[in-house]
Amino acid sequence: MARIRLDHVTKKYGSITALKDVSIDVKDNEFYVIFGPAGAGKTSVLNLIAGISDPEEGDILFDDAYMNYVEPRERDVAMVFENYALYPHKTVYENIASSMRTKKYRQPEEVVDREVKRVAAMMNISELLERKPTQASNGQRQRIALGRALVRNPNVFLMDEPLAHLDAKLRNSMRKELKSMQEAFHTTTIYVTHDYTEAMSLGDRIAVIHEGSICQVGTGNEVYYLPETEFVAKLFGDCEINILKGCVTEEKGRTGIRLPYGEEVYPVPDDVGERLQCAGVKDVDIGFRGWAIDYSREPRKGYVRGKIYTHEPLGNKVELTVSLGDDMIRFIVHVDERFEIDEAIYLHFNMDKGIFFHSETKEYLVRHNEEVMRGGGKNG
Amino acid sequence: MYQNKSRFAKVLGIASTVFLVIYTIFSVFPLIWMVIISFKSDVDMFKTLFIFKPTLDNFRNVLTTGNYVKAFGDNFIICSGAVLVSVIVGVPAAYALARYNFKRKETVAFTILSFKFAPEILIIIPLFAIFQKLHLYDTYFGMIWIYQFIGLPLLIWVLRGYFEDIPVEMERAAELDGYSWFEVFFKMLIPLIRPGLVAAALLTFIFCWNNFTFGLMLCGFNIQTITVSALTYIATDTIHYGQMAVASLIAIAPEIVLCLCIQKHLVRGLSFGAVKG
Repeated sequence: MARIRLDHVTKKYGSITALKDVSIDVKDNEFYVIFGPAGAGKTSVLNLIAGISDPEEGDILFDDAYMNYVEPRERDVAMVFENYALYPHKTVYENIASSMRTKKYRQPEEVVDREVKRVAAMMNISELLERKPTQASNGQRQRIALGRALVRNPNVFLMDEPLAHLDAKLRNSMRKELKSMQEAFHTTTIYVTHDYTEAMSLGDRIAVIHEGSICQVGTGNEVYYLPETEFVAKLFGDCEINILKGCVTEEKGRTGIRLPYGEEVYPVPDDVGERLQCAGVKDVDIGFRGWAIDYSREPRKGYVRGKIYTHEPLGNKVELTVSLGDDMIRFIVHVDERFEIDEAIYLHFNMDKGIFFHSETKEYLVRHNEEVMRGGGKNG
Repeated sequence: MYQNKSRFAKVLGIASTVFLVIYTIFSVFPLIWMVIISFKSDVDMFKTLFIFKPTLDNFRNVLTTGNYVKAFGDNFIICSGAVLVSVIVGVPAAYALARYNFKRKETVAFTILSFKFAPEILIIIPLFAIFQKLHLYDTYFGMIWIYQFIGLPLLIWVLRGYFEDIPVEMERAAELDGYSWFEVFFKMLIPLIRPGLVAAALLTFIFCWNNFTFGLMLCGFNIQTITVSALTYIATDTIHYGQMAVASLIAIAPEIVLCLCIQKHLVRGLSFGAVKG
């Protein structure tokens, strides 16, 4: 139970800079998700907090204690490693009990037994306790690794993609389990993942990290509805956000957007228009998530014509890719409609659901109903 | 077609059995012959007889006269010492080569391996001079010192592979669990490298035990190794083959016992890594 802070931390491995001037502030008892693509520096952050490596610059603070160069075992952190890092020569029971058998965290034998059985039951691995980790499946190993961490009551739990190697079904159920356990943890947790659904569902706050820098820190809704950059917008969402180039126009005091397809000008909501005028930008990038796009099989006013490029059934939904000019537009449609490849389809972009970015800096400008979205928005 | 094939397989089976039997006789016969002549009296020695009057005279001579028993003890002390030093030096060296990144790491590793490239006889004259200068000639310390070079490269290279197979995260996990570095090393790493350690240490022991050159050149009257001791049965007037056979027979006994004890480690230890899967 501690507040964890990294203060302007830089970490280099030889000539490679893994983290550049990273500052994070994890509140006590917060479930903090670090989210980013592969190689972004997610694990490096955990290693610094655990004391596995030391930063070249910057401070690491637990509450107000300065933790740079403190030995890992003195930090009282529990970590779940991506490759499990179980002790192959010990039984599952001894793996989970190992921290309670050290000088530092020693517990009486009856406490060890009780705690191991409690965690094993929670992780649903009670029947494996007498086995060696090599005799367990990958999913089971991951749960053993989780159990070995959860048996402790540390300053902070560090979880490095603990669900990455589980199959989809087990991952879903473990995610729900983690979410329900999260209430009972009462411990600060820092959770690294590259799966946006995990990040959104588990995190109190999400830090998006890219190439060693933090792009954005915010709640799930904030990073989804109000991404600070196009990069963040692209990371979240099931079918990737569609970024279109738009031209800002003004007619009779009303701001509109012209898309590269046709001459049609689409009016934007007033709050968006105002902000665009203030910023004085001519070109914008507009992000439309799948649900911000309407489609029609017949030509209609305000709809642009495209051609179906691919058609990907995903069980309860179908992901359509439509080629429109030079762009590929992805969105989700219902399963009960039949689509043919190369068929003509007419699309309409809802400007009140678009996210506007600066065309050069790729940074967030505005969207409709910003304040509502920050509070939670409607489910999309 | 099917019949042809089965006939061919049958012929092949018989041929390979015959070949293996011949090969076995070829390789085991010297040993058998050694056992036989160790029971022969000098009179029967040069006759190719399988039926003779067995005698224990050779055993009596070897064990009661001369210094064979002392040589056996000396050899044991030197080899055990050498294995001990090899393990104490080799395990940390292997760990360092597996885990740490330092300049010219591969060069160091290769240099260690290259100790085995040159025949011992090549370096024996400088070594002899050094040993004389440092007063190491004919001492236990000197012998242990030179003997530990015999098996050290093998030990380091086998164990390096073992350490590399252990994920470094496992060590980190143990540290986070609250183990000190020494506890991690002895409670987590040593159990995992044990098969390799046992096998490599055993081979080191055997290599040392069988060494002849160093024992011949770097020892004098105080210490005698068992291989050199066996040579003393070549007298100026005659060669006591019977006694030599006994000396050799006793000399290989500890190796056979050790190998039988840890046979299962030996094969597994040199062929498998530490962490399967």
